[in-house]
Amino acid sequence: MDNRPRREATEAVETQGYCQAEIEVTHGFGLHARPSVIFTRLAKSFPCTVEIKVNDSSVWLNGKSIVKIMGARIRRGSILKIRARGLRAAEAIHALKALVERDFDEDKKHGRNA
Amino acid sequence: MAETLEIFGISASPGVGVGPVHLAAEFTAEAPAPGDTVAAEGDKLRRAVTTAVAELEALAYRSDEESAGILDFQIEMLLDPALVEMAEERMLAGDGAALAWFGALDDYIAGIEAAPDEQLGARAVDIVDIRNRVLSALTGRPLEDFAPGSVFVGKDLEPSLFLAHDWTTGGGIVLFEGSVSSHVAMLARSRSVPMLVATGRFEIAPGARVLVDGNDGRAVIAPDDEHVREAKSRKPAARPTASRAGGAIETADGVAIRLSAIINDPLELRAVDPASFAGIGLMRTEFLVTSPADAVDEEKHYDIYRHALDWAGESPAIVRMLDLGGDKTLPGARRSESFMGLRGIRLLLARPKLARAQARALLRAAVHGNLGVLLPMVTVPDELEAMRAIFEEESTALGRRGVQTRMPEIGMMVEVPVAGLMLDRFSRSDFFSFGTNDLAQYLAAAARDDQSVAALYDAATPAVLRVIAQGVAFAEAMKKPIGICGEMASDPRHIPALMAAGLRHFSVAPNRLADIRTIIGGMCSDGRAAAEMK
Repeated sequence: MDNRPRREATEAVETQGYCQAEIEVTHGFGLHARPSVIFTRLAKSFPCTVEIKVNDSSVWLNGKSIVKIMGARIRRGSILKIRARGLRAAEAIHALKALVERDFDEDKKHGRNA
Repeated sequence: MAETLEIFGISASPGVGVGPVHLAAEFTAEAPAPGDTVAAEGDKLRRAVTTAVAELEALAYRSDEESAGILDFQIEMLLDPALVEMAEERMLAGDGAALAWFGALDDYIAGIEAAPDEQLGARAVDIVDIRNRVLSALTGRPLEDFAPGSVFVGKDLEPSLFLAHDWTTGGGIVLFEGSVSSHVAMLARSRSVPMLVATGRFEIAPGARVLVDGNDGRAVIAPDDEHVREAKSRKPAARPTASRAGGAIETADGVAIRLSAIINDPLELRAVDPASFAGIGLMRTEFLVTSPADAVDEEKHYDIYRHALDWAGESPAIVRMLDLGGDKTLPGARRSESFMGLRGIRLLLARPKLARAQARALLRAAVHGNLGVLLPMVTVPDELEAMRAIFEEESTALGRRGVQTRMPEIGMMVEVPVAGLMLDRFSRSDFFSFGTNDLAQYLAAAARDDQSVAALYDAATPAVLRVIAQGVAFAEAMKKPIGICGEMASDPRHIPALMAAGLRHFSVAPNRLADIRTIIGGMCSDGRAAAEMK
C-alpha cells in the first residue's frame, strides 16, 4: 500500500575512526527552531564530537551548535550526514539518527509551526 | 482631522482591534565606544549575554508552554558560544562589543532571511530578538515596550517583546513585512490578538488611531466610528471564500480561479490534502537526482509519477522534466553549468540518455491519470519539437515491447525572455506556465542568488508583468491554457497585479494556499480589492 519513496537511512558505519550515518530529513519543515533545540541537546549529552554535513556541502559543522545548524538552513528532503568520534560515538549516532527518523518527536502542533 | 486611509495586508490572526499607534523604532548599533581592550570588550559581551539569558528564563518561567518553547529556542541560541565567537572576530578587527555583536548577528540574520523556505525565513525575527536583547543589556538602553491597548506598527515584531507586553486591554499588530509562519503570528493567534502582515511600508503620524481588521486583511488609519462599528459587526465566519475546497475559488465578481500545488519533493504529498487543490501545477524532479545512476533510474521516476497521479486523482498532475544546470548541479559533473548555459531542456537534448529515461517513465505513468509534462527553459520552438520527437520515439519503442503508454500533454515553462516575447510561435505547446523566478533574473540580467544585485532582481517585476500580460493574450488567441508557477504566485503582494495581467491559474506553495485563497476571494478579477468597488 505505502509505496512512497523514502530514502532508507544507512546503518551507522565506522570509517577512519568516525562512526557515521546518513539520513534524509523528513520532518515537516526541516530542521528549524524546536527540532534544532532537540537535536543539539541530544548531541551535547554525549561526550564524543558530533558533526553534521548537509547535502553536497564539503563542510562538517559542529552538531552541538544550534547556531551552526540553523545557519545551515536544513530543509525537508535534505540529506544529513552525521559523524561522531570518541567516547560513546556509536551510541550517539544511533540516538541522533533515531531522533531524525522519529521526526524529532514533535507532535502535529509544533510540527506545523516550529 | 487626520485623513482616513485603508492599508491592505495578509491576515496572520483574525479579530478586530483599535487603538493608538505605537510606531516601532528601528534598532541600530551605537557608534563604536572607544577605549577598551579586545579582552575587556569580550567580557562585556559575555556578561550581556548572561543577562539576556537570565531575562529570557524569567520570561519563560511565567509563560505558557507554547511561549516557553519559543523562548527556549532563543535561550539555546544564546548559550551557544558560536554567536559570541562570531562577534569576537569583529572585535579583533577593532569593533567595540556593541558594534561587533550587532554586525555579526546582522550577517547571520541576513543568511536566515534569505532562506528559500518561508518557515525558516520566519525564524529570522527570533534572532533579531536575541540581537536586540543583548544589545540592550550591553548599552543599558531599555527594550521598547508600549502602552497597553496600542496597535504596534513596524517592520516585524520580536516574540519576546510580544510576550512581555500586556495584550489584555486589546490593541493589535500591523507589520510592514513579517510572516504568517512567524512565532509572533502563532502567539497572536493563540492569544486572539488581531494581526496583519506584509502591508508594505506606509507613513503614519505618531499617536494616530488605527483599526486592525484581521478578518478582512486590512488596517484603517484614522478610522471613523462607522468603520469601527462595521468591522466589529462582521464575523470572520462570514467570509464565504475561506473554506471552499477543491482548488477552485471565485473572485468577488464571479470569475473562477484555479489553485494548484507546487510540489518540490514527493514526500510533501503526504502532508498536503489533495481536496484543497486543483491538482499539481508543478512537480519538480530535480530531487530525484542525487547521483548519475538516479538520473536514469526509470523505475524510480515511474514510481514517483504514479504516486503523484494517485494523489491528484482526476485532477491534472504536471511534472517538470529535469531542470539541471544553473544552481542545480548535474550529477557526475564537477561543477554546475552556467545559468545561461547548458541547462533545462538544452541539457536534456544534449544528454538524450537523461531525457529518454525520464520520457519513458512519464509515458508509462501517463496511463494512470491526467499527466502533463512541462519543459524547462525552452527558448525556441525547435527545442519543443525535438523533445516531442523523443517522446514519440520512446512511445513507439515501448509499444513494440508491449508496454502500455499514453502521450501526455506537453507544455513549456515561459521563463526565457525570448520565448515569453514570441509566445505566438509556440503553437505546438499544449499549455504554458510562467516561471517568474528565472524570467525576472534573465530580464534584469541579475542573478537571484547574488545579494549584491538583489534590488535589480526585484526591479524586474514590472517588466515581468508586461511579459505575462502579453503572453496571456497570445495564449488566449491560440486557445491554450496558461498559468504561473513562479514564486510570485505564492506572494500575496503580487497577486493583484498577476490577476490584472489576466492570469487565472496559479500554482502555489502548499503552505501559502490559505493566504492566496483569502486574497483572491477578496478581490475582483481585474486585481482591484472588492471593497474599493462600492
